[in-house]
Amino acid sequence: MTEISQSQIERAIQTTCKTVLRNELYFSDLDGLAGDGDFGTSLATGYRVIQNDWNDIDKSNIGAMLLKISMLVSKHVGGSSGPIWGTGFMKAAMLSKGKEAVTLQELTDMLGSAIEGIQARGGAKLGDKTLLDALIPVHETLKGHCASANPDLGRALCDCADVAEKAIEETKTLVAHRGRASQVGERSAGTPDPGIVSIAVILNDWCKEFGVERTATAAEVLNQPA
Amino acid sequence: MKKFVNDPAQFVPEFMKGIAQANPDLLDYTPEFQMITRKGGPNNSKVSIVQGSGSGHEPAHVMAVGPGMLTGACQGAVFAAPPVDACYETIKACASDAGVLVLVNNYQGDRMAWDMATEMATAEDINVKQFWINDDVAVEDSLYTVGRRGVAGNFFVIKACGAAADQGKSLDEVYAIAEKVNNNVRTMGVALTSCIPPAKGTPIFELGDDEIEVGVGIHGEPGRRREKIHSADKITEELFEAVSKDIPFNSGDRIALMINGLGGTPITELYVMYAKAHDLAEQAGFTVVRNYVGEYCTSLEMAGASLTILRLDAELEALLDAPAETAARIF
Repeated sequence: MTEISQSQIERAIQTTCKTVLRNELYFSDLDGLAGDGDFGTSLATGYRVIQNDWNDIDKSNIGAMLLKISMLVSKHVGGSSGPIWGTGFMKAAMLSKGKEAVTLQELTDMLGSAIEGIQARGGAKLGDKTLLDALIPVHETLKGHCASANPDLGRALCDCADVAEKAIEETKTLVAHRGRASQVGERSAGTPDPGIVSIAVILNDWCKEFGVERTATAAEVLNQPA
Repeated sequence: MKKFVNDPAQFVPEFMKGIAQANPDLLDYTPEFQMITRKGGPNNSKVSIVQGSGSGHEPAHVMAVGPGMLTGACQGAVFAAPPVDACYETIKACASDAGVLVLVNNYQGDRMAWDMATEMATAEDINVKQFWINDDVAVEDSLYTVGRRGVAGNFFVIKACGAAADQGKSLDEVYAIAEKVNNNVRTMGVALTSCIPPAKGTPIFELGDDEIEVGVGIHGEPGRRREKIHSADKITEELFEAVSKDIPFNSGDRIALMINGLGGTPITELYVMYAKAHDLAEQAGFTVVRNYVGEYCTSLEMAGASLTILRLDAELEALLDAPAETAARIF
């Protein structure tokens, strides 16, 4: 059975903190193209707290840790991103309560539940040009790997990063229907969604952290600060 | 800005500390979550009632905690929803075997925070139900809402639910009371001036010296229209007309009538308005069974008032008459 340990999840979260903080200005600049230009700062404010409070976060099991992170994200990430990202962590936390490792299937289910929660919280669906347009194909990709006889975690991560990156290009021409960018209507067409870019960049950085070979191709992922 | 403020960032914790120190036998204060709970905590044989919202509406929320009213409440910063962890901790601190009813005014930020907190508490096997209050007739959607806003009618929902919970009613029964009050209560407000959140330091909206905002929200959200100021009677008529036609209320209805000050209007002016509102109610064939004149739900130092009508039946009349005790002694 392919398992993901708590320490691997901890590394993924710490990597995410670094990614978000390094890209604070970049994500805000992307958001400024159609939104109100605060996405990077909002996200960074929350993840900076996670990084600073890291040693105090309850790590007795994956669920407890993710629940605490959910609270911090909801509380400190500004605007609607807080409750939306926080809900994702909360749903994942509920399915990993008391666990010190999860199978790939369980991780896939955690993401599925997070997606459902985010949809319920923000009312967005596939094609509304929100981070869901990255998360939903990533979930589908993980489901595909779960179905294989002997799933390979590295391969799965690499494929997830690929589909998230593809989502940037595929959604660029869409008009945003949810979130702040929806208020500018047609003006949002032709710009990448910063939420989708952030997921692609995070997954690309996870690949680097876990030594999974892949070559980023999307300009938005290549252009992020090193 | 001329205010009694030290560090604007400490405004909320400092006034909450004051409320707690002034009511040592009534309230407990947990600074970490800007939470105030009833002394002695929840009673396992009775439903707990909790609420939480942005600060700046006092006595609403934290000053409505006490026997016969809220079991606990938490605050966000001025006009900002409380964080999820505060909502969650408030539900936990008030968890009762009989259940917890979360009463929240309908604003997006508050709803998101309480939704998450309720889901988390439910996952821990706490029996929680939520009810959204939306009594403001002024506008259908607003700056921070989809749907109508919750304003001063909130007081009646708390009072009736608090009394019903005290009598040992079940969670479903208390929820039904909330629904009944909300279905029968309507409010509209008017602003004579703007207000200044301490951390912002400037007015949240501009209003000319001779202008009023009819239908204003309690965070300074736009209402129905901006007008030149006119007589108290004419303004009261406008509010009464909008509120009484909304359900509509009918001749023969027994009602509670409230003139609520928004923070910067003297009680005398509120009574000038009450006199007119009372006459209008009688002319409309309503019987004013109870009246409430004073501050119930404010908007910092905004000068202005709101008018609320609640249609009563025997059950609601008894619940309003039931004893209660809070930091704001407003019954």
